[in-house]
Order: sequence, then structure tokens, then C-alpha cells
Amino acid sequence: MGEFGNFLIQNLGDFWTYTGIYNATWQHFAMIAIGIFFIYLAVAKEFEPMLLIPIGFGMLIGNIPFNMDAGLQVGLYEQGSVLNIFYQGVQQGWYPPLIFLGIGAMTDFSALISNPKLMLIGAAAQFGIFGAYMIALALGFDPMQAGAIGIIGGADGPTAIFLSSKLAPNLMGAIAVSAYSYMALVPVIQPPIMRLLTTSKERVIRMKPPRAVSHTEKVIFPIVGLLLTCFLVPSGLPLLGMLFFGNLLKESGVTRRLAETARGPLIDVITILLGVTVGASTQASEFLTLDSILIFGLGALSFIIATTSGVLFVKFFNLFLSKENKINPLIGNSGVSAVPDSARISQHVGLEYDPTNYLLMHAMGPNVAGVIGSAVAAGVLLGFLL
Amino acid sequence: MNKNKFGILSMLLAVVVAFASCKPAVEGEETGSKILINEVLMVNETNYQDDYGMHSAWVELFNKSYGNYNVASHMLKFSNTPGDTASYFIPKGDVLTLIPPRQHTLFWADGQPERGTFHVNFLLDPTQETWIGIYDGGNKLLNEVTIPANILAVDQSYARAIDGENKWEIRGEGTSKYVTPSTNNFTLDKNVKMEKFQVQDANGIGMAISAMAVVFSGLLLLFIIFGSIGKVSTWWALRTAAKAKGLSDEETKESMTKGSTPGEVFAAIAMAMHELQEDVHDHEDTVLTIEKVERRYSPWNSKIYSLRELPRK
Repeated sequence: MGEFGNFLIQNLGDFWTYTGIYNATWQHFAMIAIGIFFIYLAVAKEFEPMLLIPIGFGMLIGNIPFNMDAGLQVGLYEQGSVLNIFYQGVQQGWYPPLIFLGIGAMTDFSALISNPKLMLIGAAAQFGIFGAYMIALALGFDPMQAGAIGIIGGADGPTAIFLSSKLAPNLMGAIAVSAYSYMALVPVIQPPIMRLLTTSKERVIRMKPPRAVSHTEKVIFPIVGLLLTCFLVPSGLPLLGMLFFGNLLKESGVTRRLAETARGPLIDVITILLGVTVGASTQASEFLTLDSILIFGLGALSFIIATTSGVLFVKFFNLFLSKENKINPLIGNSGVSAVPDSARISQHVGLEYDPTNYLLMHAMGPNVAGVIGSAVAAGVLLGFLL
Repeated sequence: MNKNKFGILSMLLAVVVAFASCKPAVEGEETGSKILINEVLMVNETNYQDDYGMHSAWVELFNKSYGNYNVASHMLKFSNTPGDTASYFIPKGDVLTLIPPRQHTLFWADGQPERGTFHVNFLLDPTQETWIGIYDGGNKLLNEVTIPANILAVDQSYARAIDGENKWEIRGEGTSKYVTPSTNNFTLDKNVKMEKFQVQDANGIGMAISAMAVVFSGLLLLFIIFGSIGKVSTWWALRTAAKAKGLSDEETKESMTKGSTPGEVFAAIAMAMHELQEDVHDHEDTVLTIEKVERRYSPWNSKIYSLRELPRK
């Protein structure tokens, strides 16, 4: 009985070393707290719930402590574990293009086609990427890491994941969480900058209503868009190719079922897998580092620079436009490609100063141009650095 | 219309410029073959050993592509004299014939094919000009190399300076040019691009300027092209509409210069009409009664969904 008792005690002792309680560190609890905070933001404040709930819950999954030496094959970073298999889509970079397929199938580029000059605002807002790149270099990151960090300023989660998986895989978790967090915080970050940089007269500029766009133009757009951008930046092909392909499915009018699948079930499935695995990739041992804190700081800066450059570019552009063609600088922020949040911000801030001036349709132009612009910028960074 | 013509002309010009700027064919450039002969060593005394511990001559193949390449069913051919060619058929069924992306494999020219897949049935003679070629299963020449007579000393190889590229050189002569069996001829021991940026663009301004120039160029091109397409499209739509109404060219021009009515006007008219049409009845008092409906039959409790059919004999 005594021997059997010892066996039982030893067995329970072994089991105890396998429990989360035994293996927990303060870092695990810190990450779990951040995960719960994300879920709180999503549920109570409705900040990007589709992203923050999967990411927040993923953080909980990824930060359950366990005995890493036991070879249980449960962790995200353990080769062959279920989570690791899900994570391959992030690591190998095939989730982001599928997300772009869905985005293409749900995006109406009419606002952009009807007023193509708004594309330049989408380009101007990409200064955020390169501003953050320069600051990251100054902080001691190497060019590849700085490029991956800078892309947070593109305000495009899939693009950030795609690029960081190629340029700085070890920073991908921090970059992805930072990008999605700031996308959710666009309503907090952008309005003060927009108010600061515009005059009361500029905020009430009324823009000409967009013209009707023909079906032919809508079909031509993804084809010409793909050819032009990818001939210029072939390294952006996975993202741009899928974006424009999705848009052609939508606009061709003859592939309704495919378009509905791309913008519905497919993007939902990939969003779930992407969100959960990105969240789970923030395993405390890999994530809680000084670099992650710096990346969060740089992410905020990149959003501020992107918004600033978008608004200032519109003001500069207006110098060359006739009175009736002037652009309301409040849509400059929407060059930051957090679709459609930054366009919504333009609308809300615009309505504060003129309740009859609806800027949403105009803001959608630079907003979707920002998506193209950030994918092109990612391609340029890949081409230059890889 | 002049603007439209200008738009079309600028697009045509862009197409011409694009074609003119296409990469010209370089003389002597390799064909599109994915598999290349990459290095040959003809007299092996102290160099790489095979699985039998023997020092034999070898031919290195390189998979230039970024996908796997299987050399099974291919032919390695060798000749010292025109019209006298030895052929070695690379057997099927050996998993090792699958060469991973950008990787190499060695064939031993020891004249003893019975020793395995990678031992060919010919020997190399450095005193004569030697031609080696690799053919696919359909006997199509994929790649070839001719090694002049007497240029290779003992343990020297004839190799591409950089894997997959055209320039050949003799290796094993000095300390800088190593013989590199089954590995890269040119070792990438640093990220050249990144080092260039670190040295010449430490603060990132160069990257910011060049990358933003590319981003702006891309979107500027889209702006120019869709500006032109939009003008053509608007003109075409108005023209078609005018023709449908039976207007003459003059009247069409006039209708085009009148300008378009703002969308808000149409929206306001439509909303007013909608309200008018919806407001045909007076508001009446209504009583909503909900009664429970008792239904004895439902497809959910049907026996045909709960019983299995009897098997047919």
C-alpha cells in the first residue's frame, strides 16, 4: 500500500508539472489580460469585433501555459500540432491573399473610377509606412525589420502579415497585433489630427457628386489595375492579383456565386483562422519583449504620419484645382486603408461641421486606393529588401 | 473629343514604350530549361568521394527553378568525337532523382552504372574536347556544355561562376575558386541588398523617396488611364443616349455641353415620388391578433423520415 501510495503521489506530482498553473509566469498572465482587454474592446466598445474577438481569444489560446519540454504538440510553435497547421497559412503567407480575394469581391471601386484623382490621396497616405521605416531604422532595427514594421502604417492587416512573414517572421505577431489594434483605434487616432490640420472653411468644402460609372468601366478596372500595378511591382502579385480577381468576380456580373463565396463564407473562414492564429502567435515567451513595445509605439506613429500626410496632400492638391473641383481635406485621412473605417471617420467629422455634407462616397475613393497603394508599397519593400 | 484623342494616344504611346522597354534577348543566354549542367570535374584524385569511397569524375546538375524537378527518364549524353555519343538513361523509381528547388545533384562518371542511379556508363577524358548534354524523355536537348581539351588539371573543375548563369570558369586553381560538388558555386553569405541599404541609406530617406516614387507612379498611371477611360465612357454614353433619342450631331453636342444634373436632384425627386406613392392611405387603427395554430401533421414527425426503408432483395 505504501509503495502504491508513493506511486499515486508521484503520478499526481508529475501531472502537476504538466498543469498550466505550475508552468505559468507573469508574462502569461499579462498576455491573457491583454487578450481579455481586446475582447472587452470588441464586445463593449464594438471596436473591430470581427478582428479583435478572434485575436483576443487567440491570445488566450496562445498563452495557456504548458510544459514545453513534454512534447505534447499543443503549442502553436510546435511542428505538426493542430495550431501549428492552422498557423501555416500565416507563416507561408497564403491567408492574406485569400482575404484580399474577399475584399476585392466586396469592394465597389465606383467612387475611385468616377474620380480617379482620388487615387493620389491613397498614394500620399503611404508616407506613413516610410516614415515609420525611417524611425525604426533610427531605433536600431535592421532594414528588413524596419520595412516589416513600417507596413503597419499601411493600416492593412493582411498586407502587414504577408510582408512581415517574408521580411521579419520573428516580429510578425507583434506587427500583426499592432496593425489590427490601430485599425480598431482609427476612430480615436484620426479625428484630432484631421481637426488640427484643417481650417473651418476647408472642412465644409462640398465636393461634386460622383458620376455614374458604367458596367464596362467597372469590368475594365480590375483588369487594367492588375496589369498596371503588377507590371510595375510584380512582388505585389499575390495581394494585388487576388484583390483584382475578387473584384472582377464581383463586377463581371456572371460569377455571382463565386463572388458571394469569396466575400462571404471564404473570407469569414480565413478571418477566423487568421485572427485566432495571429492572436495565438503572441505566446508570452515570444511576444513580451522590448521590440514588441517599440513596434507598438512605431505603429501609432505610422498611423499618425499616414493620416497627416493624407490630409496635407489634399490641401496641397487643392492649390492646383479649380474652385468647383476642390477636395474636402477631411477625406485625406481615408487614404489610410482601414476599409471602411477611415472613410467613416471622414463622414462623421464632416457631418460635425456641416450636417448636410456627406463625404462617405468621396472618402471611399482614397480608402480603396489606399488598399492598392499599401499592397504596392508592400511589393516595393519586398522587391527592395528581399 | 480632342482630350479623348489625347487620352487614347497617350495610352497607345504607353503600350509602345512598354514593348520597347522589354528585356532584350541576351546572346548566349540559357534556354528556358530548368535543369542545367552546373559543374564538371574530370580527374578526381583527392576531391569528393562517392558512396563506395571512390574518387571518380563527376557531373553536377542544378535545378534552376523554384520548384522540384525530377530528372528520372532524362538522358545524360557524352561525346569525345562527333558521331560517337554515349547515353545514360537516368532510371525511374529512385526518389533521389527529384531535385529540390535551387539544389544540385551529382552523377559519377565512373563507367559503372550497376553501382546505382547516379553512376553513369561513361568515363571522361580531359585530354580530348568533351561534350556533355542533358536531354528530357522526349529526347529534347535541355542543356549542354563543351569542355576544351587539356584545360583541366587534376582536381580542377569546369563550373559556372554563379549557379545557373552563363559564365564558365576553371575552379580549383587558387584559394578563391573552390571546387564545389553538390553545393552552390557562389556562396551567398550575406544579404547584399540589405547591406547596401545599411551602408548607403542608413536613415531610410533613399528608400522612402524611391518607394514613394513607385507607389505614386503606379497610382498616377491608374489615374491617367481611368481619367481617359472615364471621359471616353461618358462621351460614349451621352452619344448613345442622344442617338437613341434621334438627335443630330449638333444637338448631341449641345446636350453634352448642357452639363449633367446633380445626382442629389434625382435623389430628391425620387424620394418625393416615393413618399407620395406610399402615402395613399390614411393611417388607420389596427388590431393585431395572434392565434396559436394547432397542426397535427408536420414533415418533421413524418414516419418516412424516421424509418429506414426495408432492403430490396
